[in-house]
Amino acid sequence: MNKKIRDYTLTTLATFIMLIWILPLIWSVFVSLKSEIEVLAYPPNIFFEPTLNNFKDAIFGSLSIVSELGDSFLIATITTIFTLLLSIPAAYALARLNLFGKKKLGFYVLATQMIPPMGLVIPYYLILGKFGWLDTYHGMIIVYMTFSLPFAIWLMVSFMEDIPREMEEAAFLDKASRMKTLLYIILPQVKGGIAVTTIFTFMNAWNEFLFAVQLSGNKVRPVTIAMYNFVSVEQTLWAKLCAAALIAMIPVILIGIIGNNHIIKGLTLGAVKGGGRK
Amino acid sequence: MSKKGKIELKNINKYYGKVKVLDDVNLEIKPNEFFAFLGPSGCGKTTTLRILAGLEELDKGKILFDDLDITNTSPGSRDIAMVFQSYALYPHMTVFENIAFPLKMDNKVAKNKISDLVKQSASKVKIEHLLDRKPGQLSGGQQQRVALARAVVRQPKIFLLDEPLSNLDAKLRLETRVELKNLQKSLNVTTVYVTHDQEEAMTLANRMAVFLEGKIMQVGTPTEIFNNPKTLQVASFIGNPPMNLLEGEIMNNQLTISGVKIKNYEIKKDNFKKIIVGIRPGELNISNEGIPAKIYLIEQLGDSTIMNLIINDKIVKLKSTENKNFKENSQVFVNINSDKIYLFDPETGLRI
Repeated sequence: MNKKIRDYTLTTLATFIMLIWILPLIWSVFVSLKSEIEVLAYPPNIFFEPTLNNFKDAIFGSLSIVSELGDSFLIATITTIFTLLLSIPAAYALARLNLFGKKKLGFYVLATQMIPPMGLVIPYYLILGKFGWLDTYHGMIIVYMTFSLPFAIWLMVSFMEDIPREMEEAAFLDKASRMKTLLYIILPQVKGGIAVTTIFTFMNAWNEFLFAVQLSGNKVRPVTIAMYNFVSVEQTLWAKLCAAALIAMIPVILIGIIGNNHIIKGLTLGAVKGGGRK
Repeated sequence: MSKKGKIELKNINKYYGKVKVLDDVNLEIKPNEFFAFLGPSGCGKTTTLRILAGLEELDKGKILFDDLDITNTSPGSRDIAMVFQSYALYPHMTVFENIAFPLKMDNKVAKNKISDLVKQSASKVKIEHLLDRKPGQLSGGQQQRVALARAVVRQPKIFLLDEPLSNLDAKLRLETRVELKNLQKSLNVTTVYVTHDQEEAMTLANRMAVFLEGKIMQVGTPTEIFNNPKTLQVASFIGNPPMNLLEGEIMNNQLTISGVKIKNYEIKKDNFKKIIVGIRPGELNISNEGIPAKIYLIEQLGDSTIMNLIINDKIVKLKSTENKNFKENSQVFVNINSDKIYLFDPETGLRI
């Protein structure tokens, strides 16, 4: 009986919290289906005639966000690819080789995650400016990689440390080179880690706003900035803004759904270390 | 190519930090021999095996395979296969893929032959029906067979086994032991077998090396080592229950233990005030005269009895196949089979 009461309480609480989280999303969906005039009606109309015009405008109209979607896709994809290409060997080295100062390096990697991003905007602006990389694709990609790479390395190390050394030694004796061992023995066993790294890196690069708005915006326009298309001095086009925001959310939601299982595995990694994965 | 497989270790020294784990190990293993490294844990036997495999670098010394110096050769180029204590199967591959892996990595093996070779090797250890499974779906014994199949599939020159039976239950261990011996005979490959179980070493090996504290104490056939231990440490390590060690005295070519002269035993040796006398538990018997002892505890093993006796405040084990009705705490006399007495110098530990 006690358990039942507890279950009900927890479910109610969870529903309540979820509603708070999901409310802006629901509100966005409603607004995106209204006309701009309808949006500003006061008191708001509960019943209205839904229209898909805002979505059409956001894709095909003069304020189209398609090119921004392209930019974001390019930046997020390349950031993800390079993060994986660099973090996997780095993590393997940290997990396996007896490097001098390995432990300190591991801490440094984690420490970079502790700096608030706001404090980095101005230094990054100055650095990119000196190199002439402001408002460029490679500039944005490098900035995003400074965040994704430490996280990716740290995550991959914990996955790789789980693989017994003997597994690799067996592969060496089976005439596999270190590269082939990494490719055929290690990587297939850290698929979960790679999936989580991919999802997190892509999502963070896609969703990022602060650096995008400061370090790019004219030639390179990530989709988060595109939301400014709908805000001007005279008016804010709320309906189109919401439609654009919802469109921009689709890739993230898709990745979330596809990678759901892997994300859960990645997040609970510490809890099941050594036990769960086979 | 003629297949030989002679192994020579010359002055192998190995340190872990400042700890010396291998102290001047010298050894020659003949082609096609089943050779065991026997010793308690931490004695350096697994380290020596890993050095043979190339998984561990050595600080001093040389390794020769068929007179060829391979000290700095990579593990993959040594033409050896190894079965790890944990089996180290690749969990993401099926049994077939596991066994095929060394063939795929070897450029000399033709792709169309792989499947046949895998099946042959699997049939040698009777796991043909498991080829589609993943290691996680197999029992310990089956996993062990997969590890063996993966090792033999490449037909290596040298076969290394690191405590391969230690993760199996007692019954399976005995069965697998027999199969392992047969497998080695049929393959005719130099095999080095690491174990802490002397029974395994004695039954499997043609010859063996006893490791203690990073040194090889003695090399020989199992019977040689059992019957003719060169040092006190080897003598007390080999045999189950271990050899009894008593204090004795030699005066005028006559051995005395606990003030009792041992009959029919004459030695032409200098006088020794104090000497260690080793007697195997099976070479003692209870009789009407001899060394006085008290029965402390009797252990019944079914086919034999082990009596724990107290002689000179020390526990001495006596093993007997007869089952006489002795009572605990009773006083008896113990007789020694005088042909099977081992004498050791208490200072050096060497056999006298």
